Amino acid sequence: MGKKYDFEEKYREQILQCSRCGFCQAVCPVYGATLRPALNAKGKMLLLKEVMDGKIDLNDELIETLFQCTTCANCFQNCPSGVPVMEIIKQVRKDMVSVGSCHPAFKGMNEVLKNHTNIYGENEPEDFERERNKKAEYVYFIGCVGSYREDESTMATLNLLDRLQVDYTLIDEVCCSGVLEDVGYEINDALAAKNIDRILHTGAKTVITGCPYCYRTFNNKAQYDQLLKEGIQVTHITQFLQDFDFGITTDKLVTYHDPCDLGRHCGIYEEPRNTIRKIATNFIELPANRENALCCGAGGGVRGAYAKNSIAMARRRLDQVEEVGADIVLTECNSCVHNLANARLRKQKFRIYNTTQFINELMEEAE
Amino acid sequence: MEIQGYNMPEELYYEENHFWVKEEGDFLVMGMDDFAQTMAGEIVYIQLPDDGKKLKLGKKFAKIESGKWLGKVYAPVNGEIASVNEELETNPGLVNDDCYGTGWIYKIKPNDKSEIENLIRGKEAIEKWLAADIEKYAEE
Repeated sequence: MGKKYDFEEKYREQILQCSRCGFCQAVCPVYGATLRPALNAKGKMLLLKEVMDGKIDLNDELIETLFQCTTCANCFQNCPSGVPVMEIIKQVRKDMVSVGSCHPAFKGMNEVLKNHTNIYGENEPEDFERERNKKAEYVYFIGCVGSYREDESTMATLNLLDRLQVDYTLIDEVCCSGVLEDVGYEINDALAAKNIDRILHTGAKTVITGCPYCYRTFNNKAQYDQLLKEGIQVTHITQFLQDFDFGITTDKLVTYHDPCDLGRHCGIYEEPRNTIRKIATNFIELPANRENALCCGAGGGVRGAYAKNSIAMARRRLDQVEEVGADIVLTECNSCVHNLANARLRKQKFRIYNTTQFINELMEEAE
Repeated sequence: MEIQGYNMPEELYYEENHFWVKEEGDFLVMGMDDFAQTMAGEIVYIQLPDDGKKLKLGKKFAKIESGKWLGKVYAPVNGEIASVNEELETNPGLVNDDCYGTGWIYKIKPNDKSEIENLIRGKEAIEKWLAADIEKYAEE
């Protein structure tokens, strides 16, 4: 007899592998901010076992537990049993959606992307004072957060590319829609097709993006396979910048926050550090870094659906910044910059930037 | 005074993007009005610039965010930030709970206090402006 839900069909054995050791609890950002055991991976796996045993059903009562996960993968990183929590959660969310139990923020996001170009449903994109859709060697793909929430950082990134004399163009981009797969839905084929068409139209052979999530989506999702087939390389700006010489340095104490989407999900740890070491003579690691980095709380749709908890998670990360006494926090993700900057208290005098924005500022000061 | 269900105190001055302003000695106090906080929903973040930040009339100086909306805050007068409501750092929901009281946001030291006379003021003007915005947002 078939299983009631797809998650059970696909992941029953993996869910049962959870030995309830609690290693995940120690690193779960949601648990760290809420101290609710049901919200860490162990709690979620126990709950899913109850569902598989027929004791409870997937329904609205489970929304808060199953949709409150940043998919940061720190639990998976530390799980002795190798339970692929993020994959399980993503499948369970799809099952939840199929039975009509979804967080309204995510249902709304899926609807918004049927009629809008971005996850915020905004109608007026920043123009960033640049011509779009022209022939160029590179396309710079901004992403929704960079376009609509961190426009100042994006403007600085574009100014930096200009300073470095990079031949790039912006396009009339639309949301890559990768996030829909995280929150119970599917990538929007129409949006993907628009991005592909517009990228190909420029003749560029490389897409540079400042968004680790767009980077993952373009490189890993079947809907964007055509880019690969056409010989288009998609690179994150941290990879692109590591070979440049910027000719400036700072003696401020600089630290680096690893974005989960770039670090644990893509294994990109050294490229940003290579660049930062070139510009910062005083660099210090945060207590939890690289594959053990503490999530800022913005991922997996949590910033949109559980904003207060999301900001509380970012505050825990900023506590670590205070601990090392850094003046500057650099990262490589607009969502991280946004959440960390929103969480920073006025008494915390350190500054938070995307690396590109900081380099641009230093170069501007040196001129 | 209540206008179509929104509480809009008649004695306040209003900036066109739905922030109220009132005099307090040599200073001006500023916050979100009831229409804005209702439309925005639960406020999750309010940018609180450092004291002394210069404000230029009509220029953006801060951002406010709810789960579904990002708003820009524009200077109602020329001047500088004198202080902010630091309670909002950890409890931005005060703006939803009590937008004209404990949810006040900025205290401004104006260069010329008389600039507030250019803001929206008086029963008739407030009613006309709000009715137009209610209609505008209903269409969107």
